[in-house]
Amino acid sequence: MTTTQAPRIVTVRQNILKANDHTAAGNRAAFRAAGVRAINLASSPGAGKTALLERTLRDLAGSVRMGVAVGDLATENDAARLRQWGSQAEQIVTGTVCHLDADMVQNILPRFDLDALDVLFLENVGNLVCPSSYDLGEAARAVLISTTEGEDKPLKYPTMFNTADVVVITKMDLADAVGFDRELCRENIDRARPGVPIIELSSRSGAGLDAWFAFTRGERV
Amino acid sequence: MHEASIALSLIDVASEVLRENGGARASALTVRVGAWSSVVPEALTAAFPACAQGTPLEGAHLNVVTVPGVGECPTHGPVTLDVRRGLRCPACGAPTPTLVQGDELELDEIELAEPQLEES
Repeated sequence: MTTTQAPRIVTVRQNILKANDHTAAGNRAAFRAAGVRAINLASSPGAGKTALLERTLRDLAGSVRMGVAVGDLATENDAARLRQWGSQAEQIVTGTVCHLDADMVQNILPRFDLDALDVLFLENVGNLVCPSSYDLGEAARAVLISTTEGEDKPLKYPTMFNTADVVVITKMDLADAVGFDRELCRENIDRARPGVPIIELSSRSGAGLDAWFAFTRGERV
Repeated sequence: MHEASIALSLIDVASEVLRENGGARASALTVRVGAWSSVVPEALTAAFPACAQGTPLEGAHLNVVTVPGVGECPTHGPVTLDVRRGLRCPACGAPTPTLVQGDELELDEIELAEPQLEES
């Protein structure tokens, strides 16, 4: 005869991304031991992450020792753009993966001499959804939104903005030309992440960069 | 779209639990996905069967429980949040900076498949 047993339920209650979080904790410890401030930069494609980094590498060269690990689906273009300013830039080609994860960062770290760096930028893949789930071990997460995007982006991508330590509004030099509603954008950012510091800047004109440089150095903004 | 990556991580976590339970197979598993987790339940459900092929999770049914966001309003206490309105109390509009729940992305439980017993 056949015996029928009740299904056996195992209660697990575990974070699905615990392996990533474990690796991220290791990265964070490595950064801390070397005195490196790691900054995770996220935005939609074209918001100006690489332009802001170029400007940062150019203007802070000589006063802050910086490196960049830049994620891209396929090309090496961004790393090449960044290297011309004298800092080490390494490309993480993610293939079909639309975000950086802690393993990718761990794998690229041996290429850097962390003891020779003050700041390591982790330029994420241009995407406001997936990168929000993955801790890379960064000390701070900066989320960029440009004036040429919709002011409602913070509410459309609440998780990304809700995990930001600073929100940077880029391309302020274009604000008037594109009818950017500054108050509405700031209101929506504050709805997604109440109280988060907001920096408005233009990588082209240089306006507002001082606050970003202060954040880069780990000062209050 | 990172639900395939999430599905693979889910399978890793679940496979480890199955190993701890004597190499059993799973007939179903339940995951809790918060409204603020940036994971789309439909996409996760769609990605799972293909990712599970060749693993002890192959053929298992995936139940996704969506967890609404809950914030703590200074005046109204715990309030259910609307993603489209952000972290604001729906009653008075006060900021509710901390998510009490709603950012979950966790494997809640696994239903083990019993080995097929032979007739005696």
